[in-house]
Amino acid sequence: MDVKVIAVGNSFYGDDGVGAAVLDAIRESDSLPGIELIDIHTDALALLDHLEPGRAHIIVDAAQMGLEPGDVVAFRPDEVKLRIRQDNLSVHGFGLPEAFAMARQIGRMPEKVLIVGVEPARIVIDTGLSDVVAAAVPRVVSIIQAEVDPDGG
Amino acid sequence: MSTNLEIKVEHLTRVEGHGDIVVNMRDGVLEKAQLEIVEAPRYFEAMLKGRSFHEAAIITSRICGICSLGHQITSLKATEQALGLEVSEQTVLLRKLLIHGAALQSNILHAYFLAAPDFLGVGSVFPLVGSHPEVVVRALRMKRLANDIGDVVSGRAVHPITPVPGGFTRIPTEKELLGLKQRLLDDMVPDFLATVDTMEALAGMIPDFTRETEFISLRGDDDYALYDGDICSTDTGRVPDSDYMAMTNEHVVSHSTSKHCKVNRSSYMVGALARWNNNHDKLCDVSLQAAERLGLKPNCHNPYMNTIAQVVEAGHCALDAVAIIDTLLENGLKDEAPNQEPTKFGTGIGATEVPRGILYHEYTYDRKGRIAKANCVIPTGQNLANIDDDMKKLVPEVINESKADITLKLEMLVRAYDPCISCSVHLLDVDFIE
Repeated sequence: MDVKVIAVGNSFYGDDGVGAAVLDAIRESDSLPGIELIDIHTDALALLDHLEPGRAHIIVDAAQMGLEPGDVVAFRPDEVKLRIRQDNLSVHGFGLPEAFAMARQIGRMPEKVLIVGVEPARIVIDTGLSDVVAAAVPRVVSIIQAEVDPDGG
Repeated sequence: MSTNLEIKVEHLTRVEGHGDIVVNMRDGVLEKAQLEIVEAPRYFEAMLKGRSFHEAAIITSRICGICSLGHQITSLKATEQALGLEVSEQTVLLRKLLIHGAALQSNILHAYFLAAPDFLGVGSVFPLVGSHPEVVVRALRMKRLANDIGDVVSGRAVHPITPVPGGFTRIPTEKELLGLKQRLLDDMVPDFLATVDTMEALAGMIPDFTRETEFISLRGDDDYALYDGDICSTDTGRVPDSDYMAMTNEHVVSHSTSKHCKVNRSSYMVGALARWNNNHDKLCDVSLQAAERLGLKPNCHNPYMNTIAQVVEAGHCALDAVAIIDTLLENGLKDEAPNQEPTKFGTGIGATEVPRGILYHEYTYDRKGRIAKANCVIPTGQNLANIDDDMKKLVPEVINESKADITLKLEMLVRAYDPCISCSVHLLDVDFIE
């Protein structure tokens, strides 16, 4: 299946860098040749440049889901309530919920979007993932592989 | 007349940054009017210590998603001065092109997504998407092209990687630059003119408020100074960037974890309005015509007009980007390697105009080419004291208005500065629907 994998997050903020780490793992293992890998870092608004109606998208992000650190959950945007918390004082407050809301309003929201959230353990200014989140990276890659190639070919 | 007033706007509740507007008036006496910062991005210095000169710019560019380019360029300039690395004219031109892209992107987003909702009396940009979809789509188109300037020149838009100490690891191709030029002329310029139309219709909503202010920005002899120049104060004129400590005077205040700054007065302002006041004579005609239509005059001391100054500046960035591409192509693109042979290990300062104002990085390197000491002074930190001073003058002037109106004016004031206090973590908050 034609899938775009999009990482969101800041790899200089501990486990917020899990998306980038997943992209690195895919590149190193060469497990998904030819698949489009995009890292939008912290610019969630850039998602609007990359969402293409008609194509499938997998978005990998650290997510506060109230689960155990390192837990991985894949969900569709309509299965959850993503809290909009635009801070109104700066454009820095734009996050995924705001980007999805805007994409829907201007007709750019693709039907197929899967979010793979990883519950973070450690959000501090530092490079590198915590052990539990690093251990979750292969599980995220497996979920992406299963999505790209449901038959396990 | 209302003599007692208490306002507390708790806006920024993100993990990494927190800022509240706090106003308190009792029996007609203003006790407090300030922006309280509980946390601010000032961790650069500790992270930089011990890093090699190859790493400094990469680290600082990753601190903030939107301000990354400005940090990167400023960091490179500080490192190059400290290590005695000369850069070519081509490198300077390519960096100026990057700065134009970043300024365009930031200024446009600020005008459309932050300021316009205020002017239209809606709480956020989302109602605008429904009522004025073509305007929002235009804003996104401009943002994308501005982003693409970064993609073409630096390899990646948000966290550029090809700019390194001494130059670039990859030079864009003639075809790529010509493509950008065409899109700037065909799309960006008309979109800019349409932006001026939109803003002209809204400019009447800008509060009429004036406070005598010291403005500080770069100023050069040749161009509208963004990449380099002297530090220039509207009070006392030009000094070299080596005087930056005296031109910032960072000091600790009790209500903010970010330090405040002052020079000749209790506060000063940096950003597009400061650049306009110091350098409007260097802007292109298209920008000057936009300024006239939008009511922006030289020596403007209304901080709300910062948004208009950003819009005016965007026209210059678009057209000067075209001029830079022309010069690069006339000179002929040279596939030159970055100059990374240090001729000394000392201290260097980088001063650059980033969208929110003048940004300083200062590094001292040891003999092994590792950072022994680093200091970064960010624009928002420099503006905080000025925001407080504006609030202290504004509140008594509008005290007879409703609390909601006063609150809105205070919020708009803070937004006019587009403060960068929450720029690092973008965690997703999720509630599963049962």
